[in-house]
Amino acid sequence: MAAEVIRTAGLTKFYGRRRGLAGLDLEVRPGEVFGFLGPNGAGKTTTIRILLDLIRPTRGEVTLLGRSPRDGGPTLRRRVGYLPGDFTVRGGQSARELLTYLGYLRGGVAAGRIEALAERFELDLELRIGSMSKGNRQKVAVVQAFMHEPEMLILDEPTAGLDPLMQQRFLALVGEARAAGQTVFMSSHVLSEVQQSADRVGIIRDGILVAVESVETLRRRAVRRVEVQFDAAVPWAAFEGLPDLIDLELDGAVLRCRLAGRADELVKALARFGVASLTVREPDLEELFFAYYRGGAGTDQPEGTGDAA
Amino acid sequence: MLRSVFGKTLWDGRRAIIGWIIGITAVGCLYAAFFSIVNTPEMAGAIKAYPEGLLDAIGFTDISSAAGYVGSTTFGLLGPALVLVFAAALGGAAIAGEEEAGRLDLTLAHPVTRWGVVLQRFAALIVAMVTAGLVLALALIAMSGPAQLDDLEPANILAASAQLALLGVFFGALALALGAATGRRNLANATVAIVGVAGFLANNLAASVSGLEWIQALSPFYYQAGGAPLRDGLQVADCAVLTVASLVLVALGGVVFDRRDVAV
Repeated sequence: MAAEVIRTAGLTKFYGRRRGLAGLDLEVRPGEVFGFLGPNGAGKTTTIRILLDLIRPTRGEVTLLGRSPRDGGPTLRRRVGYLPGDFTVRGGQSARELLTYLGYLRGGVAAGRIEALAERFELDLELRIGSMSKGNRQKVAVVQAFMHEPEMLILDEPTAGLDPLMQQRFLALVGEARAAGQTVFMSSHVLSEVQQSADRVGIIRDGILVAVESVETLRRRAVRRVEVQFDAAVPWAAFEGLPDLIDLELDGAVLRCRLAGRADELVKALARFGVASLTVREPDLEELFFAYYRGGAGTDQPEGTGDAA
Repeated sequence: MLRSVFGKTLWDGRRAIIGWIIGITAVGCLYAAFFSIVNTPEMAGAIKAYPEGLLDAIGFTDISSAAGYVGSTTFGLLGPALVLVFAAALGGAAIAGEEEAGRLDLTLAHPVTRWGVVLQRFAALIVAMVTAGLVLALALIAMSGPAQLDDLEPANILAASAQLALLGVFFGALALALGAATGRRNLANATVAIVGVAGFLANNLAASVSGLEWIQALSPFYYQAGGAPLRDGLQVADCAVLTVASLVLVALGGVVFDRRDVAV
C-alpha cells in the first residue's frame, strides 16, 4: 500500500489535440490538507476528474488511496467525497430529497448528520434547489461531499459562491476533517483561502506542477502590495534600501511598494512617521507565479489565465 | 424511490411519464372509439376508392373488423408513433441528457458503476413502457363493449399492447445506447426518428413491392404488429427479436460508455 493518498507520475491528458495535463507529478500525504492552486484552465479539474475516473488519462500513472481510479471502481469511490466544480442537479427537488438520495448511493449517512451540516451552513433543506441562490446551492454541494465522513475529500473550487462568513465555516469544517484524520485535496484559484486551511500547496500551471510548498514558505515568498498614506510627506531615504521591497514609489505623503518577504523592517520604518492608512493586499496568482519565477529559473513570465477547464 | 438510480430515475421522470401514458392511452382509445362510426358500408366504400398501395403505405389494411381497425390505427399508426417519441425522449435523456446537463459527473462520482447506471436507467425505461402498454390495454378492454369492439379478445389486446411496449423498449434502448456511446442526445433522438420513419416505410411499403419483401424483416414495426397480435395473440418469436435487439443495443452502448470520457 502506497504511503501517499494521491500519487500521479507523468500524468498526461489530451482532449483531442488540446492538452489538459502535460506530465503532472503529484503526491498528497495521508491526513494533510493539500491546496491545489492554479489559474483557470491550468488542469485542476482535469486532474480531479481523472481521480474520480470520470475521464481517463492519455498517459502516466495515477493512484488514489493506493489504487488506480479505473480498477478501484465503486469500492474506491465509496471512500471519497467529491464536490464538483460545477454542481448541477435537478432543480425540481428539495435539498433534503437530493441529499437523501445521494446518501443512499453513498451507502448510508449517519443519522442527523445531514441536518447538523445544514444547520451549520444555515441551509433550508426543504427549499427547492431550483429556487436557491448560487451560494445556497454550493452549500448543498458542500454538505453532500462531507456528509458520509469519507477518508478522502476531493473538492473542486469548494468556496465558489459562498459568502465570506460561509467560507469561514467551510474552512472550519475542513479543519475538523483534518483533525479527524481525513485527507483533503482542494483546488482553488484564490491563494488566501488555501493559505488559511492547507498544510501544503501545489501550484499547477499549463498542465504541470510548478511547485509544491508548505503554506509557510508560500507566505514568505508571496509578494504583497503595500500602500501607505502618511500624515505628511516623508523622506525617500527613510525607505530606500529596505530588504525585500520592490518597486518602491514615493509620491509626497503616499508610499507604494511591493513586499516580497518579512514585513518587520518596513513596519519599523513606517512607525517613525504618522501613518494615516495602511493597505496590504494579498498577492493574486499572477504575482505569486511572478515571485516563483523571479526566485527560480527566471525564464518564464506570468501570463493571462487560460481559457479551458 | 430515493434508494437507487433506478428509483430516482422514475421519480424524477414521474410527471413526464404519467403525461405520456395519459396521452398515448387517450389517443389510442379515441381512435378505437371511432370504429363504430367508421364501420359503415358507406365508409367501407369510401376506403375502397383509395388506391390499395396508399392504404398499405399508411398501414390501413383491413378496417372492417374491430381487430383490423384497431390494429391499423391504435396499434398500426398513432400508438407506435407516440410510443416511439416517448421512448426516444426517455432513452435520450437517460445518459446523454444527464451528461449534457452536467448532472452525470456527480452520479458517477458515487459508488456506482457506469454499467450499473446504464442498466438501472434502462430498467426504468422498461417500467415506463410496460406501464404505458398495460394502461392502454386496460383502457381498451374497458371500452371495448361500449365502442362495439366486442370481437376483440382481452388477451389479444394485452398481447398487442405488450408488443407495442416492446417496440418502445427497443427504440428507447436505441436512443439510450447511442446517447451512452456518444453523449449526444440530439444524435440519439435524430437516429431514432430516422430509423422510425425508415422502419415504418419498410414495414408497410416494402411488403407490397415484389422482391423487396425481405426488407420488412429489418423493420422493428414488423416485429411489433406484423404478426397481427390483436387477431392472433402474442407473437413470441417477434417479441424475442425485439428483446434480443434491445439487449444487444444496450450492451453495445454500455461497452462504449464504460470506456469513454464523460463530458463536463
